[in-house]
Formats: sequence, structure tokens, C-alpha cells
Amino acid sequence: MYIIQNAFYNILRNKGRNILLGTIIFIIIISTVVALMINNTTGSIIDDYRSRFASEVFITPNMERMRERAMAEAAGSTGRVRISPPVIPPEQYIEFGNSEYLYDAVFKASTAVNSGNITAIDAELGGQAMRGTIFSGNEVSMPTSFYFSLHGNKFEDFREGLRDLAEGRMPENLNECIVSSDLAELNGISIGDKLSFTSEIFLRGGSSFADTQTLETHYELEVVGIYYDATDEYMQGGRHNAFTNRRNEILTTYETVVAPFLPGYSGITISATYYVKDPDLVPLFAKELYEKGLDSIFDVGTDEASYNRIVGPVEGLRSVSITFMIIVLIFGALIIALLSSMAIRERKYEIGVLRAMGMKKHKVALGLWLEMLIITSLCLALGLGVGTLAAQPVTNYLLAQQIQAAEAASQMPGLGGGAMTIGSIASTGTAVSNAKPLSEINIMLDLKTILQIVAITLLLATFAAFVAISRITKYEPIKILAERN
Amino acid sequence: MSILILKDVTYKYEGAAKDVLRGIDATFEAGRVYTIVGKSGAGKSTLLSLIAGLDVSTGGEILYRGTNLRTMDRDNYRAKNIGVIFQGLNLLTNATAVENIVLSMHISGSKEKDKKAYAYTLLAKVGINKESADRKVLKLSGGEQQRVAIARALSHNPDIIIADEPTGNLDKETEADVLGILTSLAHDEGKCVIIVTHSKRVTSFADEIWGINDGKLFRIK
Ligand SMILES: Nc1ncnc2c1ncn2[C@@H]1O[C@H](COP(=O)(O)OP(=O)(O)O)[C@@H](O)[C@H]1O
Ligand SMILES: [Mg+2]
Repeated sequence: MYIIQNAFYNILRNKGRNILLGTIIFIIIISTVVALMINNTTGSIIDDYRSRFASEVFITPNMERMRERAMAEAAGSTGRVRISPPVIPPEQYIEFGNSEYLYDAVFKASTAVNSGNITAIDAELGGQAMRGTIFSGNEVSMPTSFYFSLHGNKFEDFREGLRDLAEGRMPENLNECIVSSDLAELNGISIGDKLSFTSEIFLRGGSSFADTQTLETHYELEVVGIYYDATDEYMQGGRHNAFTNRRNEILTTYETVVAPFLPGYSGITISATYYVKDPDLVPLFAKELYEKGLDSIFDVGTDEASYNRIVGPVEGLRSVSITFMIIVLIFGALIIALLSSMAIRERKYEIGVLRAMGMKKHKVALGLWLEMLIITSLCLALGLGVGTLAAQPVTNYLLAQQIQAAEAASQMPGLGGGAMTIGSIASTGTAVSNAKPLSEINIMLDLKTILQIVAITLLLATFAAFVAISRITKYEPIKILAERN
Repeated sequence: MSILILKDVTYKYEGAAKDVLRGIDATFEAGRVYTIVGKSGAGKSTLLSLIAGLDVSTGGEILYRGTNLRTMDRDNYRAKNIGVIFQGLNLLTNATAVENIVLSMHISGSKEKDKKAYAYTLLAKVGINKESADRKVLKLSGGEQQRVAIARALSHNPDIIIADEPTGNLDKETEADVLGILTSLAHDEGKCVIIVTHSKRVTSFADEIWGINDGKLFRIK
């Protein structure tokens, strides 16, 4: 088509003007490429972290309210005020998991057990009781001492590399378990062996221990795997005995542990981790929990502190890049509009000639648009290349600045910002955030980014051409030519 | 049928106090050379721009082969039916002579296969050699530019050729040359050639001479 050809010729015929125009478009495109690449890469990082950090719900006691309540209860009586958080009963944990706001609820359960057919490591140090001694009348009911612990769905040590399967497989079905290699060695346990355990659940009646009813429960478990254990040998903070020795942990599924569970009975500890579908749903989920009977002493929230600390600088980087892009686009568009309207004034005569020769308005316009498009496409090809090369160093530089800024802010008490929330949340007892901010981002050019850039570029070319076209098509050729002569 | 008929044509520029053209009647035939003479400012160029379909008359009508220019697609008319040699030439000065011709052929929708070769032939016919043809119009002499403008007016093989002071800034020799070409177009190729001029010499080539004064057209010969 001759219009395309003519557009090419025209570009070559007016090198000076087009090089100027091209340079400006080139700068705009590079900036846009860098900004969009940063924006899209950080966007997916933020989404990823948001779903990882901001979707896990934490139910933590609020110190302030706990203290208030303890004070209120202690009013009148003398003596020390004891502060201890109430316990969320297992059935509540299960009930809470039943919510439309959650995409997942991961349950864990544990209980203390004894075995008839195997000996615990550290057996000579004794076991641990799960309840106090019960005195009823003249009868004294001594509590059972437990030597083993049975854990349902407690596999995080495997993910962290502190435990590793030596042989066999992980428990998947009801009544399957794995044991530590130390325990297996001591007792000559091999895969396929059946182990039997007993445990107790008890119903606390009224206010005194005397009413406590104890039920013996049984577990018949098949060993399906043996694992190496590199965790600390004893549970944190506990006395050293067989029960606190982590080599005596028998790992099984959640369903296995809770099989003998009866509502109202203690003895089986159940906990749950809830994942909301969207971090924005947390307040709704919290409301639902309180309605379901969660003690008002508890706060329901997410690990925002870690999230903010890790992602904060990335979010800063993102908003810097967006702001930068918008400014560049606005100024760029203004400059282009100015340039192309100046170019049109210069080209009025040429357009008048074309029109006098009988070229239709829309073809003249098409030609102008094609010229812009060709220039812009060239700039796009170059800009994509240069922008892609520039994106990573620019990102590294900006991110380093963001991290510095965040650190500076966190060292300045009284000034808001992401870092401050860490302090306040930590004081209420949530996980203290020592998460390191993301300090490296791999900027990538994906198809989405390319398409966005192409779209922006097309718009830019069209905008520039439109400014030009809207001016010329108003004129009749005779008038354009008359002005010149 | 007459190729071009003007009936009671009047024209007034926007914002102007009085009509530039007043009640013009004329008929133009194929195969003849017409000259329109008149003083500067008499309205010659205005009349040509109406005939060229660059503008429409404020009153009366201009018929091309019986069709009113006012209602027809005048872009198409300019591209195909009429060749105009403007007083100011109106060539694309940044493009070469041959590019000017080829572009004009494209706009007219010419079916010519090798447009460039045709353009060179046409330019040769009006006395522009290949070397000059490949030069930017800006770099050609006034006489050469005039010839390129003529070649462009012929490039789409129109029925009517109108020329506005085509010899205004040419020496005598070139003037005779250019007028020779235009006359031959009418007499040998059957075109209708209308030349506007204020030069008496030009009129000697004409089959018909018209005068224009105070916006009125009158037959002299
Ligand atoms: N664009 C215009 N607007 C207003 N008046 C014009 C315009 N062009 C020409 N005129 C006037 O119209 C008259 C005829 O002009 P023109 O047709 O160019 O004369 P000629 O070509 O015979 O010298 C002149 O008086 C001129 O001043
Ligand atoms: Mg004139």
C-alpha cells in the first residue's frame, strides 16, 4: 500500500524532526518498560507474600484485656494477680474451621501416651503427669505418668529439614505412625510393626478436681516409617524426662489422634491454623469467631508485621515505579502533543498538497498515524531491549533505597510507617517479627508486561497522531494552500 | 456534450464585502486550448480553484460532464478527472520529482504497473531527464519545477488540465516550450486545456480567449 510506503519516505525525508520525536518516545518507552517490569514483578511478589503471610490467621490473647480481666476478678481478694490466657477448647477449634471465609484449615492434635510394648528413651528420668493428684474423701487418685507423646499432623520439622524420613513413608491413613530412628533402635522397631498405646481423656466437673472423670483410651498403630531426628533433644522449657524428650514423639495423622476425642473432655490438645481466602476477609472471619464463642480476650489477625517488614520496601518500590511511570507518561504525552502539533503546522503545506491532489482526509490521517506508528515501533523495539537491560540495576538501586528508608523509619520512634506496627503487635504477644525484608528481586519481562507496553505504545502513537489529525482535517486544501501563498 | 459548463457562477470569500466572481457563464470543450486573461486580482485563481473542485461556488453551478461539482466527490474529481498546475506549483519540495509523480498516480488509483518507469517517461516528455527526476524538487530550477508540475498534472491522464500562470516566472524560450506541450495536449491528445495568464504572448497559442474583469468573464476571441 502506497500510504505505508509514503509514510516511510516521509520519515526519512524529515530526519531531524523525527529523530527528536523518536528520542522522546524512546525515553518514554524505556521509562515505561522499566516501571511496568518493576510494577508487574513486584505485583506478583506482593500477591504471593500477601497470600502466604496475610492469609494465615493468628488467634492470640490480648495482654491488655487479660490483665484487665485478672484485675477485675482479683478485686476484693488479696494476693498476687495471676495472668494466664484461657484455653480454646478443641471442639471450638474444629467449629472455627467450618467457615466460608477460609480456603483451608490445618488441624493438629497431640496427646500423651504410654506403651505396653516399647520402652521410652530416658525412661529412667521418669514421665510427666497430665493432671494433678485427685483427693476424693479418703481416696487419693494419683495421676498417670506419661512417657510418650502422640502428634497428629505435626510435620513442620520435616519441612524445615530437622527431621527426615530414613525409611518407609509418611503416615497417610488412620492408625499409621512413624517413629524416630533412636526409638526404633532402642526397641528394635521395624516397618510393619504394630505398637499399642494407652492414653487418658478426662472430664473436669464443677470446680474441684474431685469430680474429674477419667477415661482410658487406646491406640493401635502400625509403623509405616522411621525418621532421623535432628531437633533439640528436649522440648523447650520443660524438665528433662522421657515425655519431654522429642525422640519419643510418635507422629501420626490428625484423625488418628482425635479418634477417641469426646466433646468437653481434656487430654487431647487440638490446634488449628486457618487460612482465609483473602486477607480482607479477616475482620469478617474474626466477627464470626466471636459469634461462635471465641473469648473476647483473643485477637484475631494476621502476621502483618512480618508481611510489612518483608514486603514493605517492595511495595514502596512499586509505588515509586508507578508514580514515576505516570509522571513520565503525562509529561511525555504533553511533549509529544506539542511536538506533533508543531510538526503539523510545519507540514500543513504538504497536507494541503496531498489534499489538492485528491487524497482523501482519512488517508492523509492514516498516513500520519502510520508515520507515528513506525517511529514508535522502532522506539519500542529499542526501548524494550534497553529497558529490559536497565530494569534490574534500576530495581536494585531503588529497592536498596526503600530498605534503607524503612530501616531509618523503624529507628525513629513516634514516626509511623510499617516498622512501627511491629513493636505494637509484638507487645500484644503475636509472633515477634524478625523477618528480613526482601532485598533482591529478579525483574522479569513476561508476556503480560510486553502486551501492556505494546498497548501503551500504540495509545501513545495514536494520541500523537490524533493531535495532529484533529488539527489538519479541519482545514480545506484551498485554505491551507492559500495561507502559504 | 461539453466537458465543463459554468452557469451563473458567483463566489464570495468568507468575510469579504463583495463577490469576487459575478455571474460567470462559460462552456469548455475537449481538444481545445483556452486562455483567460485579466489583471492581477481580477479573480483568475479563484475561478480556477472552483473549476479544480478545491472550493465550491457560492452561487450558480459548475457541471463536469453533466454532473454538478457541488454534489460530487470532489476529492475523487481532483484525483482522476482534472490536472491542476497551480500558480504556486504546490509540489512536495522535500520529495524528488519522480516521487511527486508516483504519489499522484497512487492517489488517482492508477492501474499503471510500473509507475516509476511511467513517471520517468512522463518527465522526459516535459523535458526533465532522469538525473533531475531523481533530485529533490527543492533543488530544481524554477523552469524545471514548472515542468514537474505539468508532468504531475498529466500523471493520471485527466480530461481537463488547468494551469495558473504557468509561464509567470519562465524565460521566453522555456515559456514557448511549456506552452507547446500544453497545446499539443489539447490538439494531439484531446484534452481540454485552460490556461490562466496575464501575458499577451500566451494568448497567441489559444483557440479561444476569454477576459476577466471585475469578476465578470467575457469572450475576446
Ligand atoms: N483567501 C482569500 N480571502 C479573501 N480574499 C481573497 C482570498 N484570495 C483572494 N482574495 C481576493 O480575491 C480577489 C481575486 O483574487 P485572485 O483570484 O487570487 O486573483 P488573480 O488570480 O486574478 O490575481 C482579489 O481581490 C484577492 O484579494
Ligand atoms: Mg492568481
